[in-house]
Parts: sequence; structure tokens; C-alpha cells
Amino acid sequence: MGEVKEKKTSKSDEISEEIPGVITTTTSAIHNLIKKSKAQDIINWGRKNSLWFMTQPMGCCGVEMIATGCAHYDTDRFGIIPRNSPRQADVMIISGYVTKKYLPALKRLWEQMPAPKWVISMGDCSISGGPFYESYSTVQNIDEIFPIDVYIPGCPPRPEALLQGFVELQEKIKAKKDRGTEY
Amino acid sequence: MDVTEILKSLTGKFPEAISEATADSEIRARAYVDKEKAKEVCQYLKDALQFDHLCSVCGVDYIKRNELEVVYHIASYDHPVVLMLKARLPRDSPEVESIVSVYWNANWYERETYELFGILFKNHPNLKPLVLPEDMLGEWPLRKDYEGFPNKTARNLV
Ligand code: SF4
Repeated sequence: MGEVKEKKTSKSDEISEEIPGVITTTTSAIHNLIKKSKAQDIINWGRKNSLWFMTQPMGCCGVEMIATGCAHYDTDRFGIIPRNSPRQADVMIISGYVTKKYLPALKRLWEQMPAPKWVISMGDCSISGGPFYESYSTVQNIDEIFPIDVYIPGCPPRPEALLQGFVELQEKIKAKKDRGTEY
Repeated sequence: MDVTEILKSLTGKFPEAISEATADSEIRARAYVDKEKAKEVCQYLKDALQFDHLCSVCGVDYIKRNELEVVYHIASYDHPVVLMLKARLPRDSPEVESIVSVYWNANWYERETYELFGILFKNHPNLKPLVLPEDMLGEWPLRKDYEGFPNKTARNLV
């Protein structure tokens, strides 16, 4: 398993060759053009309707997350499907306390997910530490580590709340306000 | 076998090592053990008194007495008595013989007691942190003088 290196796509990084009389372009230039055009709306419409999330329960909230993925709540109608592999997932749900021991593994999972990807912070624990905010072994301020789009408070939030969180994320993607992509 | 019989047998066998042996009720007993003799006493409990189930190993920090205590709860499948065996250890060098060779399930209990209290279990087969990250070793977070708690709440709260 190779390490996934983060790739930055910004115009200044790439030096385009100057050929007289010929307009050259680069991949990132095309990407940037698409991001500003109407085509991005269609791409985002596709993205928002297939938010596959990674089944990676971390605390008691994880149980609610699994319950949400089960048949009763039928998340399929929003295009939300639980996946077991980070390589197939679009959304990582931080579902519980992040301990100092677990953080390296969580970062690794995040790096294994292919972009575009989003993070949802579920439960008081991942937002602020929750009942464990003064613990010696939990990590505080997760939002400095991951680009979190949606916070779902509750201890634990009900599956309906998680669904609502997904819907909010869809709205954000539709409005091109999400932190998963640089617009 | 009832609780008085057990305590009589225990103090009869180890008159020096066992102290303050008392029966709290029909099914609960407690005793202090000399830290050098902890393993021998456990071996005797298992072989002669049918104490074949180790429920837990944990530590207590008595900072005012400058002592750490390691506590073993030992029960049996044959009689209803649960024995609480405690050993006093000096706070600056808490060391006690590991009882993994007597009760195999003490392995993880001792590892956890080690990482949280810094009680060193001698001759433990694999004494490394169990649930804490390696770099927190030496902080001993459950000791009373531990200072490493985050001193303010998460920024999101304020
Ligand atoms: S927020 Fe509550 S339910 Fe969720 S992981 Fe933390 S303690 Fe458990």
C-alpha cells in the first residue's frame, strides 16, 4: 500500500510552456475553467446524489451511524450508501471521540479516500470532546485537522439528525460552498 | 469452603506475608499481602483454595501516604467468596512480581495498570502500553499528581 500524496492543483504551481502562435493549456487550467462554468453545477449534482460514506464507527455514535445505514432509514433514496473501504467512500463521518492513539489511523484512512471527499463531524465528542473534553487521551479541536463541512450535535444524534446532516452537506455541495473542493 | 476457613488457611500458610485479613461478609474477604510474596500467595490461592478466576488487577494512588496499591480481585468457580488482595508499593519505585504465570489473563490487566499508574510488573512477558499511545508512557495519567489535562475546553465551545 503506497502512501497517498496530497496533490495541490493551483495555477501558480505549473509553468506552462510558451510556444509562439499556439495557445497551450494544462490540466489544472481546464479544471479551473470547469469549476467556474455551469458544467460544475452538473458535476456537483452528480456528486451530491452519491455520497457514499465510510462505515468506520469510533464511539457510541458509531452505533447510530450503522443504524442509519441499515434498511429502516433507507438512506439509499438520497444516494447515501455505506461502504466498507475508504477507497470507495466519499464521506468520512467522525463518529465519536478521537483518541490520541487513534488519530494516526484516522488520518491514514482520510488519506486513502480519493477526492472529492467530505467530512461530517457527528456527536459532541468529535465537535468539542463532549463528555471527554477534559480527558488526558482525547484530541481536541478536530476541525483543525480535517476540513469538516457539517457538525451534528447530540450525544448521540439520532439517525434522523445524521440524515439531516447529509442533506445539509448536499445543499452545501449544490451551492458550491463545501470544503471538499477548492472553487 | 466458607470465608472464615479460607482466611484461616491463608494466614496459616503465610503468617508473615498476609496482614489485616478480614471477612466483610459471607462472600467478600480482603487481605493485604507483602509485595514480595504476591505471586506465591496467588499460586497458593489457585492451587489449594480453588481461587481460579482473576477478575481484575488495578491500582490505587494514595498520595498522602506516598504509596501506590495494586489490587487483585480473585474469585472462584467452586465457592462464592471473592477475595480482594492488596499490596502496598512505595510511590517512587512501585514494583511487584507479575502474576501472569499464575493467571494468564492478568497479562492485559497488568499492562493497563502499568500504563496508567506506572506500576512495574517484573517478569511480565510483554509489558508495553495497551490502550494509550506509546509516547504517553511515563505520564501515568491516573496518578493523583497528574497535570496533563487540557486546561481549557475545546475552542469550539467558547
Ligand atoms: S457524542 Fe456521546 S454518543 Fe457520541 S461518541 Fe461521544 S459520548 Fe458517545
